[in-house]
Amino acid sequence: MTDTQVDFAVFGSSPLAGLVAGLLASRHKRRVVMVGDAQARYRLPRTLDISVAPVTRPETWALLTAALPDISKLITRIGGRQALRRVDPIFFADGLAAREALGHFSHMARAHGMILETVPPAKIGADRAALRINDAVTIHRPGFGPALETWLGELGVRRFGPEAATMAPGGATAIKADDEVLVARRAILVDDSSILHALPGWQWPAQLLRRPHATVLTASSRHLAGPIMVQLDSGTILVQHEEGGMAAMGPGNLGSFSGQLATLLAEAGQLQQVGQVGYEILSPSDGAPLLGPVTADGPLILTGLGPIGAFMAPILARWLAGEASSDETEWCEARRADKRGLGSSVAEFNFRIEEQAA
Amino acid sequence: MRPQTNRLPATTGKGLSGAHIDRSRPIRFTINGRVTPGFQGDTVLSALLAAGVDTIGIHAGQPLGLRASAAPAIAYAAKANAPAHALPMERTPARDGAEYRIIAEGPGPGLFARLFQPGRTLGLSLDTPNSLVRPWRSIRGREAEPTDLIIVGGGVAGMAAALAGAHAGLKVTLIEASPHLGGHSGLFGTQDGESTPEENVAALAAEVAANHTIRVLTHAEVFAIGEGIVRVHQLDISGERVEGQVVDLPARYIILATGAFERLPVLPGNRLPGIVGAQDAFELAYRYGIWPGQSWLLATSGNPAYRLATLLAESGTTLDRILDGRDHASSRYIEFCKAYGFRQFPGTVPLAVTPGPAGRLSVELPHGEPTSVDRLVLCGGWQPDLTLWHLAGGQSRWNVRRERLEPIGEVPGLVLAGSAAGHFTRRGCVTSGIHAVDRLLGRPGLGVDDPVIDAFYETPDRQMHVGDSENAPAPTYLDADNTLMLRPAPPPRRRWTSIFRGPRSGPVRVLSEAPQPLSIGAICAGVGIGLIPPESAGVVAQERVALVPLTRAEPPRPPASENMATVPTYLADRFGHDAAVKTLRHDPSRQLGSGALIFEGEDVTDPRRAVGVVLRTRDGKTEALVVASVRNVVVRDLGQAIPAEVET
Repeated sequence: MTDTQVDFAVFGSSPLAGLVAGLLASRHKRRVVMVGDAQARYRLPRTLDISVAPVTRPETWALLTAALPDISKLITRIGGRQALRRVDPIFFADGLAAREALGHFSHMARAHGMILETVPPAKIGADRAALRINDAVTIHRPGFGPALETWLGELGVRRFGPEAATMAPGGATAIKADDEVLVARRAILVDDSSILHALPGWQWPAQLLRRPHATVLTASSRHLAGPIMVQLDSGTILVQHEEGGMAAMGPGNLGSFSGQLATLLAEAGQLQQVGQVGYEILSPSDGAPLLGPVTADGPLILTGLGPIGAFMAPILARWLAGEASSDETEWCEARRADKRGLGSSVAEFNFRIEEQAA
Repeated sequence: MRPQTNRLPATTGKGLSGAHIDRSRPIRFTINGRVTPGFQGDTVLSALLAAGVDTIGIHAGQPLGLRASAAPAIAYAAKANAPAHALPMERTPARDGAEYRIIAEGPGPGLFARLFQPGRTLGLSLDTPNSLVRPWRSIRGREAEPTDLIIVGGGVAGMAAALAGAHAGLKVTLIEASPHLGGHSGLFGTQDGESTPEENVAALAAEVAANHTIRVLTHAEVFAIGEGIVRVHQLDISGERVEGQVVDLPARYIILATGAFERLPVLPGNRLPGIVGAQDAFELAYRYGIWPGQSWLLATSGNPAYRLATLLAESGTTLDRILDGRDHASSRYIEFCKAYGFRQFPGTVPLAVTPGPAGRLSVELPHGEPTSVDRLVLCGGWQPDLTLWHLAGGQSRWNVRRERLEPIGEVPGLVLAGSAAGHFTRRGCVTSGIHAVDRLLGRPGLGVDDPVIDAFYETPDRQMHVGDSENAPAPTYLDADNTLMLRPAPPPRRRWTSIFRGPRSGPVRVLSEAPQPLSIGAICAGVGIGLIPPESAGVVAQERVALVPLTRAEPPRPPASENMATVPTYLADRFGHDAAVKTLRHDPSRQLGSGALIFEGEDVTDPRRAVGVVLRTRDGKTEALVVASVRNVVVRDLGQAIPAEVET
């Protein structure tokens, strides 16, 4: 049995994990392996990859806006035109706190060149504030996933099941393959499930909270007001599928989320659930991403990025490789997991925080 | 009125003359105005099939066969508009003189079609999503009295479990979807030293009937399950009219003895009228004496289907040939068929089925000319029915050797029994029913005795499927259920002419986004044809089951707080540590929106150079978070620059 040294073991199966791994390997010439659950592609979605989110920090908007053309080209090159879809998502709010947050988010989006329009109550429901954002892009995971795997394969990034990997406290990871042991100098934990599975309790950042979450797939024949709808009050995301039906992701255990969904979509008539799953997600307590080492020499994490995470992949890869610009470095360093709370706040809108404040 | 052309003669041997019908008591009813004859003991579905109505309508451009697992709901004509009165035709006893209407989403048969009764079809157009709707599934259950033990499934395992539960002092409710207890063991025959399935079922049913602590609900289908509760659609057949009701039954313990179902082989045309599974074919003949047509062909990849051939050998029907998808299958039933002289073709799978002349089926074979038969029996082996297990949160895993999903793990208060638990033999099912009660009560018991014959003598079932083709002559379904899930279309070939084509419609391309639940049958098919990796099958099955939540919808949350934070957390440190909440003085005719950015000059627009932000308007005053030093500012709101002054 031989030992092979690599630079990084990226834990995860999401587009963010794949893109970070691929970019580290291709643009930054690092030797990378992936550790991820091969079933992820066949499971109901836990998250969405979209180029806008209720972000309220201007420095985050500035980086995202700058990164978007590059990452969009890359995604299209990897998965073809079908991998990236142009959508006009609707963000809506019912309660006062969420309405205020919608206001802050919308001014920030307009200031960064996005075109927004108010959605009339006839379409969205009375006593509800809603904005449609034009020309966002979303990754079509079923189409992009296989292409991402192919791209990673071409780059020599091998994938191993989680059972093959053993992570040391310092973040070095040993991966047992058939006749060799690969040793990655540093682990990068990306997907929530990977962090939950691999990060030991004593290294767990105090700001990183575990929350019950659920996804429900329905066969409602009624169409939503927009292809993607995000409720700021609860963080519920509704995605209309082209084939008909709708996927909903939101907080709470499966039973309670299913009940909340029935209330939220009462006007759409009886919902027939055709798929559902409850799981845990991770949520930084201040709503801002948690990046980098969890302790001085522990594994690296990339979490709390929300739906825009995949679109930030080039920035994150540059930072991990030590090749980021000063703005990018400043942004990432301000969000380091091992230094959170030591500097100025970088809190982002986080519906759960507002919920607690109420 | 169509005669009952599909009944076997009353003199048919081997128990295939219709054990549940009374030929001396003819009845007739109408369905959508069509007069249909039958016998006392028929269900509405069996009477239709006996009268030669074997087609629901048109789906994906081809006729779709009528079968118990995919039949439209019905209601009495006077009550056809209320979901509460909808009835399943496969469970509803046909009543003399009744007038039924079909309930289905999408366009129904027109007046012309109803007046000029369209032969063998019910005339529905099935391209509307969810067209074979089951209206009672959206009805909340009426809560019934709790019981100690609920057993779902009245086959030999369920009956054995009911008796074991009653002997242990439990109050038992045994729920069976079909009109009779007994399950599906009839087709599987007898192993050495066993009584016949009929004798075994009769003895167990008699013992259950004699036990007063066992309450038996027949015509009752469990369609939802939660912790310590099941939701049942139950038919009350005691009155002149059959009435349905939805009931929530609480219980301390639940045993799922839901049996195994037959998988649909995945090949083009696999749900045309005239195609039937081996188990369905046997039960239609055994219970109702139904066997359509004179000639038939058996294509199988499981041994019990061969028994059908021997049972029908002296019925006057002609078996064209037997195709077996396995290369070197061995079984005692195969040997019996050889003794009868049936033509057998091992390692052969039909390539496609298309409608043939005179209502026959044309079966395309790998070698030679297509053959034409009245009926095609397609058997893709058996799969434990884990639907309720998954609904209850149970997990499963694909067994590569047996090519089937098998349950793993435990669910508190819930146990599987019989073939649903993966057992094969009748003795295994009976002993697993008893053992299930022992497990629930924490008793060691005697365990399960499942004497499976060695694979050398009885080759295990395999799945049956053919390769993907863009030019398939008929739609390919993944399962025989009412979701009508089609095989996803193959990826389109990239041709230069593609740029002139609009978006393609047709079958779904991505199974994970299909707006239908994925039945276990569809998942098995997905594994067989390479759409779902075997290691993912259990996860997909668990996540894509059609759950009916048994919790109540939560009341709407009250509007967000009135006492919300003055400065939201997401603005902390945004404008430095010395930023404070101030009032802005500005043109009072203009209300500034939350989030409007505040700058020190008109020419500054970069949000990173903002010196404050509008928080809200409260009591007519505009509150803003601004850096301490600024006084005269410009607020940018919806493209306009509005001068303002910070009050000190």
